[in-house]
Amino acid sequence: MTETGVLLDNLRAAVADGRAPGVTDRDALSRVKDPLVLRKAGKILAKLDTADLPPVRVAVLATCTIGPFQQILQACLVGAGALPTIEPGPYGMFELTLATGGFGDPDFVVCLLEESYFLAADWDAVDVDGFGRHVEKRLADLSGLVGRSSTNLVLHTVPLPAQVRDSFISWRARAQVARIWARLNEGILALADEHRHVAVLDLVSVLADSPCAARDDRLHRYGDMPYTDGALVALANEVRRFAQAKSGLSRKVLALDLDNTLWGGVLGEVGAQGVQLGGLYPGNCYTQLQRTAQRLRGQGVILVLASKNDAALVEETLTSHPEVVLRPEAFSATAVNWSPKAENLRAAAETLSLSTQSFVFLDDSPFERGHVSAELPEIAVLAADGDPAHLVRTLLAHGWFDVLDLTDTDRQRPVLYRTRALRSDFSTGFGSSEDYLTALGVQLTIELANEFSVARVAQLAARTNQFNLTGIRFDEAATAQRSTDPGHLVASFAVADRFGDEGIVGAVWVDTGADVWRVENLVLSCRVLGRGVELAIADWLARRARQAGATTLEGRFVPSKKNSVAAEFWGKAGFTNTGDGVFTLDLGDADDRTPAWITVGGADSQTNVLEGNEVFG
Amino acid sequence: MSDAASVAETVLDILSGVLDETPDDLRARPVLASYEWDSISSLDALSQLESKLDVTLDLRAFHAARTVDDIVALVKPAPVQAEVV
Repeated sequence: MTETGVLLDNLRAAVADGRAPGVTDRDALSRVKDPLVLRKAGKILAKLDTADLPPVRVAVLATCTIGPFQQILQACLVGAGALPTIEPGPYGMFELTLATGGFGDPDFVVCLLEESYFLAADWDAVDVDGFGRHVEKRLADLSGLVGRSSTNLVLHTVPLPAQVRDSFISWRARAQVARIWARLNEGILALADEHRHVAVLDLVSVLADSPCAARDDRLHRYGDMPYTDGALVALANEVRRFAQAKSGLSRKVLALDLDNTLWGGVLGEVGAQGVQLGGLYPGNCYTQLQRTAQRLRGQGVILVLASKNDAALVEETLTSHPEVVLRPEAFSATAVNWSPKAENLRAAAETLSLSTQSFVFLDDSPFERGHVSAELPEIAVLAADGDPAHLVRTLLAHGWFDVLDLTDTDRQRPVLYRTRALRSDFSTGFGSSEDYLTALGVQLTIELANEFSVARVAQLAARTNQFNLTGIRFDEAATAQRSTDPGHLVASFAVADRFGDEGIVGAVWVDTGADVWRVENLVLSCRVLGRGVELAIADWLARRARQAGATTLEGRFVPSKKNSVAAEFWGKAGFTNTGDGVFTLDLGDADDRTPAWITVGGADSQTNVLEGNEVFG
Repeated sequence: MSDAASVAETVLDILSGVLDETPDDLRARPVLASYEWDSISSLDALSQLESKLDVTLDLRAFHAARTVDDIVALVKPAPVQAEVV
């Protein structure tokens, strides 16, 4: 049987058993480019019902027929590790459905657009100005609809079809029409800047880089299907990247091999002077890969070096080779030795306190890749062998590291994790962990969420899996709404110590009723676990609720496959288990459980907010 | 298997997948209208046939096909003409 046949059979078996397809099958599915296979897979997976994958609800509204987009998107989202429920909107009612919110309560709505929405039915090739005015008016219509919605919307730029462009026989008019269309797409892209709940993907540039026709005239005329299956795969992949970033399924760590990956040749054989790096092809391919990794690092991706090599020679080469872009300090963890790479990657994950699930591994050796895949199938493994000209595309094409917004914490993350490794060394000189924590000087800064922190708070909701008490992932729009609603409270928690500032690492969403304050969710980055920060947060919440006149603080714990680390939290914080995952604290007789080694500060750390900012003493 | 037989098998395989019917059922009842042969399933079949058999079909002829055999006739390779000298 072919590989595709095996994959489809495995998907059928998973659906029949009511379980998630295995990580290897999901990985294989995520690499499928053939629209026919994706359609088949999507059809099979439409019946998938399992609690093993995080659910994603998607509505698709279109100005045309969506064709096989639903099946293709279904397959792409399962490949990314989600369990999608996709609801197509009614045909021919794009504006009405968008205006009335008649699409249920999805996590996001994909708006599938094509040119007919923006063109007058009887546009005139002689009247270019009239053509432009109509397009501009329709863009304004779309902008109005989008602005009135509060649901997360994913839109895309729209290709100018050849049949429209080539209807203008004058070169001057054709250039004007192209400019009008570029302005239309600029306007669609600008909607993402104007509205927090809007994301826009650039389908035009994606299609320009795809080896498929955007349109099949027969399907367009017969079925009002403006895009080919190949174009829909390109679109679905971009939507998958959005869903992946929104659901916290993106990766955080890039583990890189050295020989024939970050440079050409084998260092141990050719020496530092002999490796291919810089200059002309193929050295320039490796330089570009290093620059790309450096750019990813600048945006918060943690770099790990995983090489079977002589450590001293590698250190010397990384430090002194004039063409090296990634110097030793670029890597937050380094494993240069002769141990199996799976072992090294597991150890690196432990050092960084991150799951191997957040790793992408790039290596030229099929043996090393196969071994890592067999030992740690959750790691995304990328092949660096073959022509090095493709290295950068191999690394970037899938969008493994996508985030919805870049925050300050993202930018600082590689440095924070490097500092973390140093912190581990510091801990060995103390008799007890309390001595160590006291010497560490942990500072917790508490602030109510504001326009500057909302994006980071929402990102924590999306990306925190371990210390995530209820699994509710409040997105940016919901967080912003709750942060200003008098019946709710959203707060952010930042942690610093003698080794550096971790930035905002935790957040809480609370329903602040008159008598009972209910914690809707509390998340805390695994970077700061083990320091008692969560107990200080619980104390702060109790003080604040008491100050507001509440008598009870209520929390919940909803177990998931990954949050067992937080299972005991409410009990440790003094709450009583009342059953069904609900814990309550009587605010009349609650103890202060903030560890002595933590100093609490920040603009909103005081229960009486009128007292203003507290400064660390 | 001859080219023509192989094409017929491929068509049967694709149509059975699209219509969720076994090849035997399709052989026994080859009239497409007796299944859920609508615009969506027919375009699904069209995409698969064109991709798998590397052909481009005229949509009018494709939609005029009533039976599985009609579709096989549409996509099967033309017989090689003997060269007349």
